[in-house]
Amino acid sequence: MNKEQIPVKRDYKPGKIATAQPSRWRDLGVSLRGFWKEFSQIKYGVAGLILLAIFFLMIVFEPWLIPFPEASERWRDISYWDSNPRNAAPGWINWFARQKGATHQYLRDPILEVEEQARFKVIKGTFSYDYRFDLPPTGLSLRGLGKGDLRLTVRLERPDGQEIELYKDSLRRRNEDELKLPLGGLQAASTAFEFGQSYDSAENVKRVNRHMIRPYNIFFARAQEGILLKPEPLPGEYKIHLDVVAIGQDAYIKDPYLIVSGRVFGLLGTDNSRRDIWSGVVAGIKWAMFIGLLTAFISVVIGVTYGVTSAYFGGWIDSMMMRIFEVFVSIPILPVLIVLSAVFKPTIWLLIFMMTVFFWTGPVRTVRSIGMQIREETYIEAAYALNASHARIIFKHMVPQLIPYAFATMALAVPRAIIFEASISLLGFGDASIVTWGQILHDAMNGGAILQGLWWWVIPPGLTIALMSMTFAFIGFSMDKILNPKLKTR
Amino acid sequence: MSEVILEVKDLKKWFPVRRRISQLFKGEKSWVRAVDGVSFSIKKGEIFGLIGESGCGKTTTGKLLMKLLESTAGQIIFQGEDVTNLTPEGISRYKREIQMIFQDPYASMNPRFKIRDVLLEPLIIHKLGAGLEERISMATEVLEEVKMTPPIEFLDRYPHMLSGGQRQRVATARTLILSPTFIVADEPVSMIDLSTRAEVLQMMKEVQQDLNLTYLYITHDLSTARYFTDRIAVMYLGKIVEMGSADQIVDNTLHPYSRALIAAVCEPVTGKVNLIKEVPIKGEIPSAANIPAGCRFHPRCIFAKPECWELEEPGLEEAEPGHLVACRRYQEIV
Amino acid sequence: MGRILEVNNLKLYYYTARGPVRGVDDISFHLNKGETLGVVGESGCGKTTLGTALLNMPSPPGRIVGGEIVLAGSDILQLNEKQIRQQIRWEKISMVFQGAMNCLTPVYTIEKQMLETLQEHREMDEAAAGERIRKYIAYVGLSDDVLRRYPHELSGGMKQRIVIATALFLEPEVVICDEPTTALDVVVQAQIINLLKELKEQLGLSFIFITHDLATEAEVADRILVMYAGKIAEIGTNQQIYGQEGQIHPYTRGLLGATPRLREKVAKLDFIPGTPPNLLHPPAGCRFHLRCPVVMERCSVEEPPLKEIEAEHKIACWRCFDE
Repeated sequence: MNKEQIPVKRDYKPGKIATAQPSRWRDLGVSLRGFWKEFSQIKYGVAGLILLAIFFLMIVFEPWLIPFPEASERWRDISYWDSNPRNAAPGWINWFARQKGATHQYLRDPILEVEEQARFKVIKGTFSYDYRFDLPPTGLSLRGLGKGDLRLTVRLERPDGQEIELYKDSLRRRNEDELKLPLGGLQAASTAFEFGQSYDSAENVKRVNRHMIRPYNIFFARAQEGILLKPEPLPGEYKIHLDVVAIGQDAYIKDPYLIVSGRVFGLLGTDNSRRDIWSGVVAGIKWAMFIGLLTAFISVVIGVTYGVTSAYFGGWIDSMMMRIFEVFVSIPILPVLIVLSAVFKPTIWLLIFMMTVFFWTGPVRTVRSIGMQIREETYIEAAYALNASHARIIFKHMVPQLIPYAFATMALAVPRAIIFEASISLLGFGDASIVTWGQILHDAMNGGAILQGLWWWVIPPGLTIALMSMTFAFIGFSMDKILNPKLKTR
Repeated sequence: MSEVILEVKDLKKWFPVRRRISQLFKGEKSWVRAVDGVSFSIKKGEIFGLIGESGCGKTTTGKLLMKLLESTAGQIIFQGEDVTNLTPEGISRYKREIQMIFQDPYASMNPRFKIRDVLLEPLIIHKLGAGLEERISMATEVLEEVKMTPPIEFLDRYPHMLSGGQRQRVATARTLILSPTFIVADEPVSMIDLSTRAEVLQMMKEVQQDLNLTYLYITHDLSTARYFTDRIAVMYLGKIVEMGSADQIVDNTLHPYSRALIAAVCEPVTGKVNLIKEVPIKGEIPSAANIPAGCRFHPRCIFAKPECWELEEPGLEEAEPGHLVACRRYQEIV
Repeated sequence: MGRILEVNNLKLYYYTARGPVRGVDDISFHLNKGETLGVVGESGCGKTTLGTALLNMPSPPGRIVGGEIVLAGSDILQLNEKQIRQQIRWEKISMVFQGAMNCLTPVYTIEKQMLETLQEHREMDEAAAGERIRKYIAYVGLSDDVLRRYPHELSGGMKQRIVIATALFLEPEVVICDEPTTALDVVVQAQIINLLKELKEQLGLSFIFITHDLATEAEVADRILVMYAGKIAEIGTNQQIYGQEGQIHPYTRGLLGATPRLREKVAKLDFIPGTPPNLLHPPAGCRFHLRCPVVMERCSVEEPPLKEIEAEHKIACWRCFDE
């Protein structure tokens, strides 16, 4: 073979090598898979993702998770909570505590006897209560529907045969109404004192302030010396007798039941307004998520646009924009936000707006430096040679490259927003129409939770704030590690 | 063939450099004279080569023509119209007529854009083509023109899925989609593998003949310029030192700088291994911020005499028909 | 002329997630003392991989999986990393990496950078080291005052000379140059080529000159090794490859046809259609057969061996064997 001209093969087609036609979605899938492969290497990132999934599931299944589904809307509606005990500890502490507290119970379906007379009815009911605790209930409350003229008597029959009259009063209801009769208060206190007096020694009786005694401690105590000062629980079957005299033809009482206010309640106990803390904390997840994500999203969108614009135009526009940016960066955000909140008493929307006003600075510096690199790319020059507008170059060519980084920054901005909202709410300047963890903490502070040792009121909301922040911080740091060109070692 | 499509008159681009404090007080300004008085004219249907070493101002000249940079002085006349100062509408019209192919085809396409997006971008910017379907059909047409067949197969690929030669074809297709009359090609094949370089050049030549285009071919590579261009201008430190047909420049080199360039070119011919190549030039290229007085080439010229730096800088003069040279002594040193 | 380097059946595979990529696949050649061996091929054919393999420093995930590299009588692949670092790398065989001139530290003077490199390998006092640096700076045609300068104050050609001097001053016997002239202007390119020739002459060095440019190779290399897809397509003397007579591999012919020539007017340049194969799944038979203009049936079935068709000239092509 010698060196003559080799005929060129003309049927060659450059496109023959790869024939697969990838779709846009598949490309996205491929890049996401690549991202996930890197992400799954970072342990704390995966932990953050699992936490996030748990939080999301809790938001979705919130109605099934909490005993008070309207907790979110009616957090400040006292009537919604009034069948709960006050300041009750979480139910599960009975598993650990030496002295078991009485649980919160509803005594329903009494044995009812009705005696019809000509002008009145006599209704007799008996509730049975099996008391097996070391700490007695904090009270009893009679509930039911009633109408007309009613005379009510409630008596407690103890296992030792003693009987105590807990309540005696007459009611008048023009229409059918819900009856809510707490069987406690001053009347019960003096009844208890009198009951105890007959068993305890004279010195003990003298040493007791009759207004300060807790009546139910005595009602459920052994009838012996020291009942007033150091009551010892008397376990056994208690019977509560309800005698109602309904005067008139249309007077009646329907479905009466008793609430035994427990020492322990629910998963996380209650606060001093009888609100179920668990319901509040779970209802707070969605608000924290909402505030965090929305604030982060808006501020990152603003920040990325600002940074890219500054980088793209350069020159004096860049200098001016950076000076404005520096002013915002140097403002101490929290004090300013607190003052603004105190002045404006913001709704949640206004609060989010105020936070974005200061939070947008977060991604600016990095975005600007990345933007300045992109600006030098040939394809930007090529677009410019085609007479592409500034807006097109910024939003079509530059911003899409920053989206991964923006996601990472967003994840990192979420905890900041959550903590800031909590701080503002803690000081009592938050939006009162929703329930957030910060507000639960604020109420706890006002209610003296710490002085009274009501830890279940303080720790759960505090812990969830920390957990939620951690979730997003973990995710954000891992994304940052993968996507931030400054940290990435190529 | 004889109609002049583009004329450049005494074009200058001076970049300001940061001043020292003493200069600031005196009110002096320092300049990098990247392009320092360049004049040439290109005829319709011609391939005009602009050749020089890195830093000689050839790319800056291309960018000035593309309006990617604003010129400091001088005039660019395109199709009889002065395009140096244009209104935004004028610029939009001008940028449809004149297109650029960049050195690195991969860098000149947004890596996140598919070929479809790359090709449609000029149409979207210039609001051409009614609807997506018409635009896609325009895109397939230009892909066929640059021999990317079948075009449908390429539309949904990303630039990184193509070979270097295919990318430069796509880059060419992008310039063609607006049916321009003039294309600035800045080192279009220097990043492409040797084996496909010729293929791309041949494609560009075919496209040029098919569509009666005019090219400005900017390169440092004399060998491809000889093969590809009709006329060549050799630039040194922001000025054209010699200009003529490709054959005149290579076979009848007049300027000492062009001689050095040509002497330095390697060729795939045997029998040179044990020879030390004579390159008739001395020293290093000076900075464009500090251009020597007199003939700007004199410090490196092996033929320089006092007249070269004492007298004024020589202008381009016609040595033979169509062959211009900026050297006082070209007749003596043959 | 004795053999300074002999490579036998060298294999370097890159172990990627999708399978092994055969970067250098069963390559054997030798380098004579005092000669320049040119390695040419398209990008991605394994030229640079071969260079790093010779220093036994494959870039991950690459691994040398077989063969031997006999340098001055001993197989360096039998040595451990410490021995290689102490006795072989830079001491006996050094490399000028592609783009190394852009990798000089911008914050140190040239002298400091060179001193550091030298003292890392040799226990030398500052005066002796300085003297040696000056000696090699002179060899590469620079004056002493560049030593006090910083990289940004130097031109590309000067930086490339510095890099070459750094590769030389441990006095190796073999220097591998990976595309040393690619990023430089023509005039500087010619000067660097001249410099390498002078060094070969004066110091008796042996060079392996890696480039994609056949024109440059024609002016530097005594013998030329053409690589395609991780294998040797052809190896022969300068005369055999670039001369007008005799057979050459169709791939070499294609590359030569695609190389523009300044001094002869060519109406139309040739080119090799298609792209080099993916080394993850190289084609069966001859690796070049998909792009070969003179392909025959056998080429797609059976891989041609690298066979000596005349003295010093080996080709791997069925067409070139006399049957």
